[in-house]
Formats: sequence, structure tokens, C-alpha cells
Amino acid sequence: MIKFSDVTKSFGSINALNKISFEVKSGEFVFLTGPSGSGKTTILKMILREILPDSGEVLFDGVNIVSLPDKEVPRLRQQMGIVFQDFKVLPERTVSENVEVALAVSNVDSDEWVTRVNHVLKLVGLDKRANLFPSQLSGGELQRVSLARALVVNPKLILADEPTGNLDWKTAEGIMELLEQINKEGKTIIMATHHEGIIKHAKHRIVKLDDGKIIK
Amino acid sequence: MSIHTKTAVDAIKRSPFQAISAIFVLSLTFFVATMVTILVYSSNKALSYFETRPQIISFLRDDASSEAVFSLETKLSKDIRIKDLKYVSKEEALEIYKKATSDNPLLAELVSPSIFPASLEFSVTDIKLAETIISEVKSEAIVEQVGFTANIGGEKSLSDVVARLKSASLYLRLGGIVFVSVLAITSFLVLLVIISMRMTTRKGEVEILSLIGATPSFVRSPIILEALIYSIVGVLIGWTFAIIFWLYASPSIISYFGQIPVIPKDPLTFFLLFFTILVIELVAGLIISLFGSLIAVGRSLKKIR
Repeated sequence: MIKFSDVTKSFGSINALNKISFEVKSGEFVFLTGPSGSGKTTILKMILREILPDSGEVLFDGVNIVSLPDKEVPRLRQQMGIVFQDFKVLPERTVSENVEVALAVSNVDSDEWVTRVNHVLKLVGLDKRANLFPSQLSGGELQRVSLARALVVNPKLILADEPTGNLDWKTAEGIMELLEQINKEGKTIIMATHHEGIIKHAKHRIVKLDDGKIIK
Repeated sequence: MSIHTKTAVDAIKRSPFQAISAIFVLSLTFFVATMVTILVYSSNKALSYFETRPQIISFLRDDASSEAVFSLETKLSKDIRIKDLKYVSKEEALEIYKKATSDNPLLAELVSPSIFPASLEFSVTDIKLAETIISEVKSEAIVEQVGFTANIGGEKSLSDVVARLKSASLYLRLGGIVFVSVLAITSFLVLLVIISMRMTTRKGEVEILSLIGATPSFVRSPIILEALIYSIVGVLIGWTFAIIFWLYASPSIISYFGQIPVIPKDPLTFFLLFFTILVIELVAGLIISLFGSLIAVGRSLKKIR
């Protein structure tokens, strides 16, 4: 599903990625791990085509997204669900509206919204908080909103950038259980984390990075 | 309500003073635009009235035979430069005099039909032809004198009146265009500033939307919709105040100008005129808001991406 081939990226004199190559197959759950600044987020941003590599290829379903025209980028992103460390929920919209936005962005028929939003909110355990605003939710609940928004469009791939980074261990475990469940339903997940406990506990393939290189 | 409409309405509710400023400036612009349009319309109508309706009266000699009068009448009626030809007998002239002096009947009792000359009254199709036609009619043997009606005075002063009206109409049009343009530019700039501010406050939201796959048109839609709401509300308020003013003032204006149709006298034409202005203003408002918002959004999106 995702294939990096000899990808290099520099920010000034800093080598964020140095000729890295790896592949993620459909249905896999892969951890990107390593210390801060090792290139985890850079990889996720490249898959989202937020940044472009200096050299190399990034294939998504066989399509080189590096050479994708700008106008095709929204369509690419609509096939992915993204969960951020800082949640990135819309503060002036309710929980259900935050999830609906993803459906609107993906041009899903509005007749389906209520059913799909209710289903996904139930899945993440926020069905009773659908009408609350983000300011009324805890960190764990905000991450569940972010996850619900990522899931509602039924994406091929879920990218999670330190989704447990701002959460306590118990809440992080809850989020991981959800991600495991989603993965079992056939979704491909690439998760960047440096949370050793989670990595050991989950037992999935690990791509370990250091200084822009894959070391394991 | 669509997600874009909801976003636009929520944005307006969140910053009511920005919305009020935009709507106020747009209302003022379109109020002045409506007033200027009606004034230009009125001046055009007055000008056209004086240009196409200069009634010429050729007073006939008392000794003119009816055959000679008939012959001149036939000749004038065949002239394509002349319209609305009418023979006024001495008796009819007395009746006109009586009507004109109805507030003082004694004046009418003191005169007899014999002192009023019979006349041939007509209009010319173009004011430029008036002087030629007058000199031609003057040369007729049975015509004693030629003059104008409607208190305009002699043929030279008629040209003066038309010339004055033309220059007044031109100044009104130019002044109106300049004034409305200045206000339109102000509205455009106010919209530009407000939409730019809106984009700045929505920067975080735009980034999130972009990351989850929103197209530029998805991001733009609520902002453009918001600008369109300002425009439509602004046009409707400005136009409504203007029509209320003209509805209130039109009886006095119609009675002051009498026969000169500076504003339509029948309600249907009056409302049709205002409806036409409304449609044109709505189109102008849409253009202003579309351009303003597209420029503001385009600039902001460039900074965000």
C-alpha cells in the first residue's frame, strides 16, 4: 500500500530522512518509532503530501504521490484518516459536527451523515457526548473525536502521529485498543510513537528510525 | 442548512460588529446608488420631455379662410418632422383661457372668443428641428405669430433650457458615477479587510480542513457565502430605504413637476423601475462580494499553504 524508495529529505543542513526505503502492506499495523527528530513525522507528512522529498519515490497504491499534481492532493488525503498528537479538532464545532466535516470534505451524501456519525461515535464511545463542544471534553475524549473523524470516511489508511503523546497511560491504552480493533477490521495503520510501553504491548512490526535512517 | 451556510452564519454570529460594518457600508453604497439612478432617470425623462415635446403654437390671422387653414393643416400633418398636430378654434381657446383662470371667473366673463386667435398647435420630433420649422411656419401668409407653450418662452430660451438640462443631466450622471464608484470601492475594501480578518481567525481550521482532504473550493465556499450574505442584505437594506423615500416623496414630486414625467406616475411602472434597479444592484453586489472574497481568500490561502 505504501512504499518508500530511497527517500531523502533535508531541512537546511539537517538530514531529516537519508535514503530510506520500506514498505507497508495493506491491512498491516506498523509503528514508526525513534527519538525526537528521527524523521517519524516527516514520513507521515510525506505520505499526506504535506512535504515533498528531495529525492526518491513515495508510492501509495502504486501511484507516486511525489509527482501528483496539486489539484489531486485533496483526493489523496480523502483516502486517508489522520490522527494528530494535538487532536486538531475544530473548537467551534460540536463533536458530531467535527466528524461530519470529514464527510462533507469527502463529498459523502448528507443523507448518510447521521447514520455514519452515530456509528463511529458509538465505536469510539462518544455517542453520549455528540453535542458537546471540544472545550467540554478531556484529552482522551478529544483524541477519540480525532479518531472518529479519521474513521468516518472509511479510509484505506490511517496515519496516527503520536496519538497517545498527550494522554495518560490508561487513556492511551483505550485509544490503542480502538486502533487494534480498527486494524482487525482490515484497516492499514501507520503510527508514529516513541512510547516504548505501547510498542512492546501491541506487538506489531516496528520501523525504527534514528537520525533519518532506518536502523531496525 | 448546508455545512457551508452553517459555517458562514456561525461566523457572522461570532463577529456581529464586523458583519454590521460590512452591511452598513454596503447599504449606504446601494442606497446612494438607487438615489443616483433615480435622479439620472428623472433628468433623462425631463430632458426627453423638453426635447420631444416642445409645443409650438402658430397663431392664425383673423382673416384666414377656412380653406387656407385646412390647407396649412394638411401640409403640416404630412410633415414627418411634426407630430401631435391640433387645430384650436377661437371658442376652444376661450375654454382653455377659462380653465386657466378658473380661480377668478370674472376674468373669463370680461372676454369674448373674438379676442383669441385660432391656432395650429404641434410638437416637433426633435428639438434641433424647431427653429427651422418655426421659420417655415412663420413664412406662411395666414400665420400671424409663432410661440411656445409651457412657459418656456421664446424659441431661443427653449434651446437654453434644453442646453441647461443637458449639462445638468451630464453633471448629475458624472457626479453620480464618481460618488457611487467611490462608495463601491470603499465597500469592496471593507469586504476585503473583513474577509481577510476572517481568514486569519480561521487559519487553524483551514489547516485542519486541508489536511483531511478539503479542496480549495470547500475552504472558500463559506467565506464567499458570508460575503454574498453581506452583499444581499446590504443591497436589500439600501434599496428598501431608497424606495421608501421615493414612495414618500413621489406625490409631492409629481405635483411639483406636473406634466413632466420625472418619475413614473403609475404604480406598475414605478415598481418595475425599482425592481430593475434591484436586480442590477444585486448583480453588482454579487460581483463586489465575489471579487472581494476571492481576492482575500486567495491571498490568505497562499499564506497558509
